Amino acid sequence: MPVLETDGVSIRFGGVQALSNVSLRIDEGEIVGILGPNGAGKTTLFNCVSGFYQPTEGRIRLFDEDVTDQKPEARAQRGLGRTFQQVGLVRSFTVLENLIVAQHASVRSSSVSAVLGLGAARREERELRRRADRVLDFMGLGDVRDRPIAGLPYGTLKMVEVAAVLATDPSILMLDEPLAGASAEEGSAFCDRVEQMRRELGLTIILIEHHVPLVLRTSDYVYVLNFGSLLAEGPPEEIRGNQAVAEAYMGEGATALA
Amino acid sequence: MTDLAPPPVADPGDERVGGPAAEPVVPAAAPARPARPRVVPLALILTAFLSLPLVVSATYLNVVSRAAIYGIVAISLNVLVGYAGQVSLGHAAFLGLGAFSSGYALSEMGLPFPGALLTAVLVSMGIALVLGGVALRVTGLYLALVTIAFGLFAQETLFNIRSLTGGGAGQPAPRPDLFAGDVAYAYLCIAVLALVIAFDWRLTATKAGRAIQALRDDERVAASWGIDVTGYKLLAFVISGGIAGLGGALFASVEQIVAKDDFPFSLSLTFLLMTVVGGTGNRWGVVQGGLLFAALPTLLDQLHANVHVFPFTSITATWEPAIGAVLLLLTLMMFPGGMAQQQGALLRWLGGGPFAHDPEPSGPAQGGGMGARP
Repeated sequence: MPVLETDGVSIRFGGVQALSNVSLRIDEGEIVGILGPNGAGKTTLFNCVSGFYQPTEGRIRLFDEDVTDQKPEARAQRGLGRTFQQVGLVRSFTVLENLIVAQHASVRSSSVSAVLGLGAARREERELRRRADRVLDFMGLGDVRDRPIAGLPYGTLKMVEVAAVLATDPSILMLDEPLAGASAEEGSAFCDRVEQMRRELGLTIILIEHHVPLVLRTSDYVYVLNFGSLLAEGPPEEIRGNQAVAEAYMGEGATALA
Repeated sequence: MTDLAPPPVADPGDERVGGPAAEPVVPAAAPARPARPRVVPLALILTAFLSLPLVVSATYLNVVSRAAIYGIVAISLNVLVGYAGQVSLGHAAFLGLGAFSSGYALSEMGLPFPGALLTAVLVSMGIALVLGGVALRVTGLYLALVTIAFGLFAQETLFNIRSLTGGGAGQPAPRPDLFAGDVAYAYLCIAVLALVIAFDWRLTATKAGRAIQALRDDERVAASWGIDVTGYKLLAFVISGGIAGLGGALFASVEQIVAKDDFPFSLSLTFLLMTVVGGTGNRWGVVQGGLLFAALPTLLDQLHANVHVFPFTSITATWEPAIGAVLLLLTLMMFPGGMAQQQGALLRWLGGGPFAHDPEPSGPAQGGGMGARP
């Protein structure tokens, strides 16, 4: 069953056709990789799916519901989580505070009762903290729990960002270059983590990443974008041998990727 | 959608006992002693502040009341500027709305004082909702312009409606019997300031307070976490308007008469200055900024009268705008975190920490945090 579909999505910025007629279909529990050279439209596609850009043409369906006209926060509340290429965190908060704000949509007690410090609201606050701790443990970030965001190394911030999105309790997780600036070793560990997220949290994961071998290793299915259009799609082993993909990445004459 | 599954080892109902063995938890450098505020110094400072109405001469009692009210306005602006990252150059209008509403409720409707306070808060919140609905469609400089226009409109048009504001004669706003004296009224203002500070502290620890601060840092990130960005900006506007209206109601009864000339554009400017000089985002900082700017004209006059040394021989209260501007420039250049940043070490020490400056200053919003600190 598809949890996310884009149907002929196109978007223009002035004279630039950033995406043309992109159709994806992502099934529940899949790990889907999105590849493409710089400027191919990968992040633009994420922005259309998460609601920050309004596509000029085409529809986006989330859990069989057309969300093309919904705001980003509405899509997030339906279980669509995403990270940003530039780290998406609240910079003046600590790590723990970020994971608490991220649970915003799940807070039931009203702010009035929380201002008054009523029992139910206090219990819920404690529960928010406990859940934040669980997510930090899951991501292996327990030791930076009380650190301010400002001052943490870039690679750690990227992982804290993933933790914050996990704290929103998403069903679909869209990761935009989570490994920018990470070492090969960290990259490999992260791929295991992605696999673990699917297994233990039941997530569907869409991954934009420049590190081609890692994407091919982790994904069940891969889409390749080039100049805003789908160049190829298929299981990783097919993409690996696809000549058009190899040429897009490495220039004419190349025959195989990775 | 199910709840996030707990990590494999830890028991879901339990506190995390020991994490997975593969990930040893690095112990914190120093055992985290729960920070206990230093009660004695805090009590001394509080006592000194609370005894002010008893020690100042009768002439200056109303300055104390006004200082507490400026503190309330500073908290109000801080919600908007410090937490939500929006700007208002029309906040004197909210003070005026509160003041005239309270005056009208007291003299024309014959409501008791608490009823007048409530009326002032509700009217200001209502107008803030309307203004916010319009103003928050624009950002930055344009938002500043819209709020200026609102301030001028309130001053020149709204506050000139004779049937509501008494026109040039002004609207009487008698004090309640219990707080009729200047000393008692000053204490009433201080008590309300304390309540507003407590509210602000609680607000920052709620869903709404956190959402408002998150969208200040990055609206896109806030939206991607499911936070209704427009809604919470509007809420910040309404809360800010309500608190300023409450301050206005108290302001009305300081002199017991409200006139439209009490709320010029320059007052809105002073309010923004005192918030920035106090330290945007830090509740203790902005309150001090409010107290300082409320007392500034009196302080300058006192210095002029009693200190016969240059420059005090030439500086009078008329210099207040210039002094405010100089303070603003010094703040922006040297201490973007305002008085709160200057006193960083002291505030930290009072909160139970070591007497040391923040090792990792995090810019103007420093100390905004999520308000774990009262």
